[in-house]
Amino acid sequence: MAEIVLAYCSSHAPMMSSARLAAPEEQRNNFFGALDHVREQAVERGVEACVVLSNEHYTNFFLENFPQICIGLGEKNWGPTEEWLPIDKVWIPGHAGLANHIATYTLNHGFDPAFSHQLELDHGIMTVYYELDQTMKLPLVPIVQNCAVPPLVPVRRAYEFGKALGEAIRAYTGLQRVALVGAGGLSHWIGNPRVGDIDEEFDRWFLQRLERGELDQVLDMPDSEIELAGNGNHEMRTWLAVAGAMAPTTATTLAYEPVYPWITGMGVAEWETGGGGAETSATVEQQETRREESLT
Amino acid sequence: MSWYQMHRCVYDWVRAGEVNSGEGGDGRAGFDVGAYELTDEERKAFENKDIGAFYRLGLHEVLINRYARAAGYARDDYRKILEPLGGKEERKGRWQK
Repeated sequence: MAEIVLAYCSSHAPMMSSARLAAPEEQRNNFFGALDHVREQAVERGVEACVVLSNEHYTNFFLENFPQICIGLGEKNWGPTEEWLPIDKVWIPGHAGLANHIATYTLNHGFDPAFSHQLELDHGIMTVYYELDQTMKLPLVPIVQNCAVPPLVPVRRAYEFGKALGEAIRAYTGLQRVALVGAGGLSHWIGNPRVGDIDEEFDRWFLQRLERGELDQVLDMPDSEIELAGNGNHEMRTWLAVAGAMAPTTATTLAYEPVYPWITGMGVAEWETGGGGAETSATVEQQETRREESLT
Repeated sequence: MSWYQMHRCVYDWVRAGEVNSGEGGDGRAGFDVGAYELTDEERKAFENKDIGAFYRLGLHEVLINRYARAAGYARDDYRKILEPLGGKEERKGRWQK
């Protein structure tokens, strides 16, 4: 059975890649320091594949057909889509076995995810995935959620989906060590008069709820209230899905920086997995070998 | 107002200039706005690259953001355009003291 040996969430503002140096040095060091930490843990724990939840930005879907959740089943996916994002455009290996298992499991447990055999991955996934594996060879199961176009799945439902997702990963027999990653949030506004604002009070409150496990205070929030911390705040669904998958374990905030040049409250939080023991450690070389095998 | 058609038009224009979108980077050059059933106001907004008009017409904010970038507006610039169109927020979230 697979184990989730690494679980974390990170904000995914595209400027973290495209305007990295625009952030004040201390903020930059704190934020990327947290991502360096999880990357090192991924190597140390011998992560064989990652499942990354993010949100749709009208990259794959439009108003004719807009799934609430879509699982990337393909053997490979393309990214990043944005021509201006300074990350090499490459085919990223998927993991069809794990992805199909997640789709089947969640279908059998009360959810109706859509699926795609080829997704275009935009900054939502690519910024965070790149920081996890800069070779971009780690097999990736992308899951995109609707966090933008009403009607949106209620946040409690996103949390419950995360629970089923966690069960699905743990019931998979084709791998042993999987990373679960949420990408998006925290507070930010785009395309409206408040673009550039950050609600630091919300961000700290939200991170504290994750740390204390006081999620009921978040899970009954209507969209109209969520939007008070920005239209981009709907992306909290990715964080809540990871929280659901890891419950009852609570999160630890590794970094929080309100980075105004990136117009986003930039957070990184990790859930303890107990995945760092000797039995699950692997050398970088072993990890690379597994990745190569997954590509053949 | 042809809400869907306006969205489709703006989305197609944005995508036409992006990589991996079939037409490559030259796709916007011959873009035919006449192929969409737009009202005069919507067509004018498109032809004038009028971010404020798009906002008033209800263009989705994610699409406004993408359109603004594709049309060459810096974020600070489009905030200046949109700021006068925003109302004062009276509501409070549960996290606000």
